[in-house]
Amino acid sequence: MGSSKIIRTIVQKLFPFIVLFGLYLISHGHLSPGGGFQGGVVIGTAIILLALSYGIEKTEKKFENKRLSMLEKLGILTFIFLGFLSIFLGHSFLGNFLPLGKPGQIASGGLMLLFNIAIGIEVAAGVSIIFYALVKYRGEI
Amino acid sequence: MSKEMKKVFFIIIILAMAILFILSIDIEYGNPKNLDVTNYYINQGLHDTGAINLVAAIYLGYRAYDTLIETIVLFVAVTGVVFYLRGKR
Amino acid sequence: MNPINISLLVFMIGLYGVISKNNLIKKIMGLTIMNGSIVLFFISIGYREAGLAPILGKGTTGGIPTTIFVDPVPQALMLTAIVISISITALALALIVRIYAKYKTLDIQQLSKER
Repeated sequence: MGSSKIIRTIVQKLFPFIVLFGLYLISHGHLSPGGGFQGGVVIGTAIILLALSYGIEKTEKKFENKRLSMLEKLGILTFIFLGFLSIFLGHSFLGNFLPLGKPGQIASGGLMLLFNIAIGIEVAAGVSIIFYALVKYRGEI
Repeated sequence: MSKEMKKVFFIIIILAMAILFILSIDIEYGNPKNLDVTNYYINQGLHDTGAINLVAAIYLGYRAYDTLIETIVLFVAVTGVVFYLRGKR
Repeated sequence: MNPINISLLVFMIGLYGVISKNNLIKKIMGLTIMNGSIVLFFISIGYREAGLAPILGKGTTGGIPTTIFVDPVPQALMLTAIVISISITALALALIVRIYAKYKTLDIQQLSKER
């Protein structure tokens, strides 16, 4: 039970650009306003847009519930693993151990890019899982 | 609570908020007073973390532990929503 | 009439929504409005006169910056507050779905007579 054909065509054409914008916000988190939370919510919104216009069954064939749940657990475990890796290498918990680099480029700031990617994956999967759980409730109503 | 008690409660809240609003109409805006921590973060942020976004240098560099706990809070909220909306077993 | 007074007005609107509306979903909307007003209050505390956004220019290499920046510390704190607001709204909506499944109504007056 999706929407009309006009909305389905426009969403199909717009979906890669929304995901690309979300990835831009995540990866440029230490150079311009943005970051993990903002980019993750944009990617989650793209998946919700697909589910609203194509119907929930067709979207769940492409973005399965089990795969999104595994991605969310992977995101939060990467964050904790990076913290303990920093203890094993001699610095403080969640401290920086990569070279700092030239300010203004993407490969600068040390661990901040990896933090942003882990948070972005976790927030995108989390928002999608909340939407799936609210829509697919088939209990007693 | 009954209708009259709710109306009295509502009027008391509105009166308290109006007094608070009138007392704070000329609050100082644009001139924060103690800026020691802020000046340290602005002056040393690029040298310590290497990021030119100072807000990201604060919440991912100096105070990354709070960001970790906040992601755990979001994870627990998603777990709670999935638990409540499980459906028939 | 600066943003600090406006945040107090928006907080009053949210409080009115939580107290005086009978539907449960409107009460949750009032909670979200109150959260937004607190975020506005904290960010507008850290404003400095003629200050720019706290992002250094692309060509700075070192040294102490000479331009005046607004306070970046409340902005970093409010990121956490926004995420907590999402968590509260999501859990409250899940509970509302279960309440409607069991009692068939969302009116707070009828729900308080149920027991």
